[in-house]
Amino acid sequence: MGDDLTTPVENTWCPGCGNFGILNAFRKAVLKLEKQGIDSKRLVISAGIGCHGKIFDYVPLSGLYSLHGRSMATVQGIKLGNPNLKVLTFAGDGDAYGEGIAHIIFAAKRNADITVIVHNNGTYALTTGQFSPTSQKGFKGPSQPKGNIEEPLNPLSLLLEAGASFVARGYAGKIDHLSDMIVEAVLHEGFSVIDVLQPSVVFNNTYKLYNDLTEIIPNPADTFEEAVKIVKDFNNRIPIGVFYKVKKPVFHKELMGEWNPVVNHMTPEKRKQHVASYLSDEFHE
Amino acid sequence: MNDEIFTYLIAGKAGQGTKKAGIVAANFFAALKRNVFQMNDYPSFIRGGHNFSLVSTATRKIFSHYMKADLAVILDERGYTIHKDHLVENGVLVYDSKIVKKDHGIGVPISSFAKEYTDSDLIVGVAGIAVLAAAVGADRTRLDSVIQNEYHRNVEENLNFAHEIYDYVAEIIPHQFILREGKETHPILTGAETIGLGAITAGLDLYFAYPMTPSTPILHFLASQGKKLGVVTVQPENEIAVANMAIGAAFTGARSMVGTSGGGFCLMQEAFSLAGMIEAPVVFFLGQRPGPSTGVPTYTEQGELLFSLYPGQGEFPRIVASPGSIEEAFYLSGELLDLAWRFQTPAILLSEKHLTESSMNVDLKLEKIQEAEPDLHTNGSYQRYRQTDTGVSPLLFPPSDTMIKWNSYEHDEQGYTTEEAEVITRMKMKRQTKQESLIRHLQEKIQTVNEFGSGNSCVFTFGSTTMSVREAVLHADLSCTIVQPIYLQPFPSWNLIKYIEHKAVVVEQNSTGQLEQLLREKIGITPISSIRQFDGRPFNPADLAKQLRKVIG
Repeated sequence: MGDDLTTPVENTWCPGCGNFGILNAFRKAVLKLEKQGIDSKRLVISAGIGCHGKIFDYVPLSGLYSLHGRSMATVQGIKLGNPNLKVLTFAGDGDAYGEGIAHIIFAAKRNADITVIVHNNGTYALTTGQFSPTSQKGFKGPSQPKGNIEEPLNPLSLLLEAGASFVARGYAGKIDHLSDMIVEAVLHEGFSVIDVLQPSVVFNNTYKLYNDLTEIIPNPADTFEEAVKIVKDFNNRIPIGVFYKVKKPVFHKELMGEWNPVVNHMTPEKRKQHVASYLSDEFHE
Repeated sequence: MNDEIFTYLIAGKAGQGTKKAGIVAANFFAALKRNVFQMNDYPSFIRGGHNFSLVSTATRKIFSHYMKADLAVILDERGYTIHKDHLVENGVLVYDSKIVKKDHGIGVPISSFAKEYTDSDLIVGVAGIAVLAAAVGADRTRLDSVIQNEYHRNVEENLNFAHEIYDYVAEIIPHQFILREGKETHPILTGAETIGLGAITAGLDLYFAYPMTPSTPILHFLASQGKKLGVVTVQPENEIAVANMAIGAAFTGARSMVGTSGGGFCLMQEAFSLAGMIEAPVVFFLGQRPGPSTGVPTYTEQGELLFSLYPGQGEFPRIVASPGSIEEAFYLSGELLDLAWRFQTPAILLSEKHLTESSMNVDLKLEKIQEAEPDLHTNGSYQRYRQTDTGVSPLLFPPSDTMIKWNSYEHDEQGYTTEEAEVITRMKMKRQTKQESLIRHLQEKIQTVNEFGSGNSCVFTFGSTTMSVREAVLHADLSCTIVQPIYLQPFPSWNLIKYIEHKAVVVEQNSTGQLEQLLREKIGITPISSIRQFDGRPFNPADLAKQLRKVIG
């Protein structure tokens, strides 16, 4: 793979799309991670389905291009198969907070050691702009021409309640800030999520709004309660930054200790020995 | 031949330990070197309801329980009403006279005795064993050793209680049963255990499941025993996560399997199709119970045969096989793991509650199972979906120097997304070639059909019903050939076509005749008769034998 982390695949995002910012931030993060000893061979990616998912083809990293909403489950499976890998998935707001909301909540609940980067553009752009779980009330799309009648979900508040140990919000227009947070999220042992505010130039152009209102919060909150407050604080500002970061037992270690299913895979001989001894115990009980 | 079969029935409320007593009785017979078949019948309740366990034993190999008991122990009123006539000629019925006010059979005030003990409700199951010991003339020492080995809590209390029942019954029982000792016997395992052990022997690393009867016993078995056998068990939030996690694990090279039943398998459809597209090797255990929908959770049926043949959207190779005995479940579980990895495609182990939750003696030859080994990429540049003669592209796992991309979109050889007409065609052909290689492999290397017995008439059956048919044929000494397709997808027409001229009967546990439809459609067999049962209960071999005799003489 090239040092510039590009692939031969033609980029088909709309010119000016917020996804470019996320792609650039991710490429920078991968190079920074290399410097910190995380070989990109060990970094495995996944993605859901939607505009965001195309990023899978644009970076030359190993991974599994999953289904809509399911990539959070996919990467948990990858982590359980080989805990030596670092796993990260990209997801859209429809993926993470709609179709696959159970998976992200449970990944947070069990503190699965995965990183989820949500390209949150508040619309289903690839399917031509329907409302999404994070669309503002009144948002007009082809499936609700008179405007969205539902209130938007606050995903970070939900994930904090679910037990997430690393919660952050980024903005696709602040690439270096986002890139540093991606590095921090990957290095964090446990569940990490970055909800990335991503303008969709065609269906939900929020550049001006985000340029005016985003405000970098330099440090995580000291308490859970403060973190809950800040993720809901939209008073003339949109805070971005790592809001919450705590150390907690991680799922795969709680489940299997230091065991690594592929590295420690038992030889056929050993397995047969164990099975034979199980059978003879059964027999003599 | 029937003379040597002895059937023991214990019935009571859920929570009274009837299932446990059934297991203990089975072990009691096994200690006499006799073979056993045990079946548990229970409703979907935790406490109350009506449960019973039937254990049939013989000195020959036995493939089913019988519904009529030689000795029945009844602990509740409802059990009495249901089972009072479920006795063979000269059968003995013992009931709890404190609970049941009847005079047909032998009343023993079991719960009056039990009242003096700490766990008076659970302990009544022990009475079932004491009655059995008294009825077959086992001495007290033998009874004591059984109780000590099998009931680990409150041993003293159990022993005292068992003695009271034993002495009481020994006084009043009209006649004792003579159980001949057999020649040899093997461990008694449930289908759930043999399925788990087969997969383990073939190299299983991870098992994912969301609880759903009748697949749950596999989850429980692997959760309790897996660790020392090298298997990690995971219970995610739902079946969708189950299937997708298993696919993720397979991406790292971990041999993964999931377990579910019809409803859960419906939720796995998109993941099943994903596995087909990205060529992920995962084994899906599908345990059938009566449907549609929630159906009858704790009973048995074969209503999902046709459903299992084409799961998931789109065209890709699917493998479906169903074991015809608890023993075969061991080998088939291992074989499917091997096939899934060999052909990098999802495989379904199709079975039923009757197989996963019943138990019998099994003689397992571990050396017959080979480790599931994929074709591995060795050196040079890597393309995940490289074109090969067999359609199977060698695997490579992360971390790796070269990029590995598995892609749910149609993709090129490298794994990048494509919408190019030429590439789409090429990749469809690749998966089609893989299907052809799979069929060739099944034809040349795999036993896809079982044949039992001989006789001009053919009795077609599949899955756990094979056990009922085999027992019925033994029981009535019928002359026929039992034909059991083990593989159902791809359908082994090449092995079945030779039966086309024979008189055919189809026996299955569903109402629409799904195996029969397959046989008609795939090989043009027109059966002279169909025997179907779809009340949630497995066939009683004695009744089935009568029905078979009528049609094949």
